[in-house]
Amino acid sequence: MTISLTRRRAVPRPPALQPSVTAGSRQWVGYAFLSPALLLFVLFVAGPFVAAIVLSLYRWDMLTPARFAGVGNFTAMFGDPLLYRSLANTFVFALASLVTHLVGGLLLALGVNRLKNRVLSYFVRTSLFFPFVISWAAVALLWKYVLDPSFGLVTYYLGKLGVDTPNWFNDPSWALPSIIGIDFWHTIGFTFVIMLAGLQTVPNTLLEAARLDGANAWQTLWHVTIPMMSPTIFFAAVITFIGAFQIFDPIQIITPQGGPDNSTMSVVMYLYQKGFQSFQVGYASAVSLLVFAVLMVVTLLQFWGSRRWVHQ
Amino acid sequence: MLQLMGAAAALPAVGGLAGCGGSGGGNGAQGSGKGTLRLAYLGDASQQAAFKALFAAFNKAHPGIKISATGIASGDWATFANTISTQLAGGKEYDIVDVATEGQLLMSSKNVLEPLDGYIAKDKAIVDAYYGGIDPHLKEWTKKYGSPDGKTYFIPGGYNSMVLYCNTEVFAKAGVELPDGEWTWEQFKAAGAKIKARTGAYLTALGDGSFPFGDIMPWLLTNGGSTLDADWKNPTFNTPQAVEAASYVKSLLDAGLAPKLGGTFDAAAQLAKGKLATLGGGRWPTLDMRRLKLVDKVRIMSWPTKTGPGSPIGWDGWPILRASKNKAAAWTFLKWLMSTQASQFYAKVGGTNIPALTSVANSPAFLSDAPKGSKLLPAAIAHGTPIPSPKQGAAVQRVVSSGWKSALTGLKPVKQSLDAANEQLKPLL
Repeated sequence: MTISLTRRRAVPRPPALQPSVTAGSRQWVGYAFLSPALLLFVLFVAGPFVAAIVLSLYRWDMLTPARFAGVGNFTAMFGDPLLYRSLANTFVFALASLVTHLVGGLLLALGVNRLKNRVLSYFVRTSLFFPFVISWAAVALLWKYVLDPSFGLVTYYLGKLGVDTPNWFNDPSWALPSIIGIDFWHTIGFTFVIMLAGLQTVPNTLLEAARLDGANAWQTLWHVTIPMMSPTIFFAAVITFIGAFQIFDPIQIITPQGGPDNSTMSVVMYLYQKGFQSFQVGYASAVSLLVFAVLMVVTLLQFWGSRRWVHQ
Repeated sequence: MLQLMGAAAALPAVGGLAGCGGSGGGNGAQGSGKGTLRLAYLGDASQQAAFKALFAAFNKAHPGIKISATGIASGDWATFANTISTQLAGGKEYDIVDVATEGQLLMSSKNVLEPLDGYIAKDKAIVDAYYGGIDPHLKEWTKKYGSPDGKTYFIPGGYNSMVLYCNTEVFAKAGVELPDGEWTWEQFKAAGAKIKARTGAYLTALGDGSFPFGDIMPWLLTNGGSTLDADWKNPTFNTPQAVEAASYVKSLLDAGLAPKLGGTFDAAAQLAKGKLATLGGGRWPTLDMRRLKLVDKVRIMSWPTKTGPGSPIGWDGWPILRASKNKAAAWTFLKWLMSTQASQFYAKVGGTNIPALTSVANSPAFLSDAPKGSKLLPAAIAHGTPIPSPKQGAAVQRVVSSGWKSALTGLKPVKQSLDAANEQLKPLL
C-alpha cells in the first residue's frame, strides 16, 4: 500500500540541480582543480612510462638515431647474469627491509606509545623520525666515515674492546648487510610514525574488554592490537617493499661500482649504469619495465594475501 | 679527483682575427662572432672560480662575446662525458664543451662535433704556431684518439701527468732521504717501511681504483703494462706486467703502508698532518698544497719505477659542437685559448693542469708558488702514455676498477681477478 502511494507521488527536484549548463560548468571546475595533478602525472609518470615502453623496443645510445630492435632487448635480459645478480641482491635488500622495518617499527611504536611523559614521548618521536629527514647523500657519507676501516668510530671503539672489524664496504659478505643496516637507521622513523598512527586507532574499548577478560599483554597484542592494526601493517608492507626495491642512492654513493664482486648491485643501479654509462638506453628501458612488472606482481600478491590476515 | 682541465697557449692573442671556415653556419658565421657562447666544462666549486676568471679575461679581450658557462662537478671525466651526452640527448644546446681524453672518442664518434679543418685552414698561421709550441705528442694523440675519421674535432688544451707529492718533513723525521732522480719500487717500499716504523705515517694512499688514471695506470705503466693496447682495441689487463703491478700494490696494502681501501681517507689533509708521506697526483694537488700552506714542505718526485719511467697522460680538447648557432664566436674563443696570454693567465689563477705550451709550463707563471720539482710534471709527457679511453669509457673504467679492487682486497687471487676483468673488457672494445 505504502509503496503504491509513493509511486504515484511526483518527487520534487531541487531547482538548483536542474539546468544542464551548471552541471557542465561544474565539470570544468572539477577538471581545472584536477589539471595540475594531471599535468604532473602525464609529465612525470605516464609520459616517461610510455617513453620507456617505446624505447625498450629500440637500440639507442642517446646521440645517434635509434634503431628498431623488436623484442631484442627483452630476450637479451635472459642471458644477462649481472641482471640476475642485481635482481637477487635487490630481493634480498627488499625482503630484509620489509622484515626489519615492520618488526622494528612496530616494536618502537609499541614502546613509545607506552610513554606517559608527553615531553619525553615527543622527544623520542622526533629523535626516531629525525634521520628520515636527512638526505640520503648526507646519510651515506656519514656512515662511510663511521664505518671507515682505518679511522671509523666503529673500528676504533670495537678495536679498543679487542674486536676486529671487517672492511664493511669492501667485503662481499658485509657490504650488502651494511647497506641494509644503514637503510634501517635512515628509514625506520617513517615506518615507526605510520605504526604509531595505526596503534593509536586501536579502540580503547577493545583493549579494556581484553583486560577484563583476563588477557595478558602478549595476548592483547597478538589477538587485539595486531589484528586491529593489520590495515596499517599491510600499508607499511606495500610501500616498504616498493621503496626498498627501488634502492639506489646509498648504493651509488657508498659503493659506486656496485660493491665488491657486484655484491651491492641493485637492479635500479644496474639499469642506471646500462642507460647512462654504457649508453644502452633501450636495454635500460627494458630493465625498467621488468622492475615495474616485478613490483606489480609482488604488490598484487600482497593484496591477494591480505584477504587472509588484514582486518576489514 | 680530477686530472686535467683548462686552456693552453702558444701565440699572442690577435684581436679581430678573421672569421671562420668549415661549415660555419648559424647566425654568427662571419667575423669573430658576437653574442653569447654556451660552454660546459668539468669543475667543482673551487675550480669554477679559476674558470670564471678565465672567461672574464676572454670577455675583456672580446667584449662582444659573453660566455654562459656551466661547470659540472662530475668528479671524473668519464662521468662528465656521460652527463654531457645525456644533456645533449635531452636537447641541451652548447657551443663548446671542454672534453678530456676520456670523452673525446665518444664525442667524435657520435657526429655531434663540427670539423675544425676549415677553421684551422683559414687561421693556419695561428694554429701552426700553437702546434709548434706544444709537445708534438699532444697533436699526434689528439688526432689519433680524438679524430678517428681523419677530420679534426679538437684543439688540444692543457694536460696532466702523474707524479708524487712528498712531505719532506715526514721523510726527514724518518731519516729517509729522497733520491735526487728516479727511484724504484723497491726503494719506495723500503722507504715506506722505515717511515711506518719510525713515524707511524702511511707511505701513500692507494685509492680503490675508482680513479684509474691515478690509482692504477702509474703502477702499470712503470712496469711496462697498461689496461688496453695502444689502439684501445684489446685488453691487456692480465699481462704478467699488470699482475706484477697489482701484486706489488697489494703488498704495500698488506704491509700496512697504505690505509685500507673503502674508507674516507683525506689524503691531502693527512699529508698536511704528517700522517702520510706521499700523495699521487697531477697538477691538481698543487691547489691543495697552496690551501694547506704546504708548498714549501713538499717536493714533487717522479713515480717510482720497476722497468722504466711511465705516466698516464690525459689532456683536454676543445671542440665546437655541430649544433652551435654561434660557431664564429666559438672559434674566436678557441683561438683565444691558443694564446700565451690565456695560458699564462689560467696557470696563474689556479689551473688544475699543465699548460700545453712548453714555454708556459716551464715559466714562472706555472712554477712559482708550486712545490719544488714541479718541472717534472711537464717533463713526464716525454715518457707518457695516453690514458686508454675507448667509446665505452665509463663501462671500461668500471670493470678495470672492480678487477683492481678485487685483486687488492684479496677477494680473488690477483691473477684470477685481472683475468676475469680482462674477459669482461673484451666485449666493451
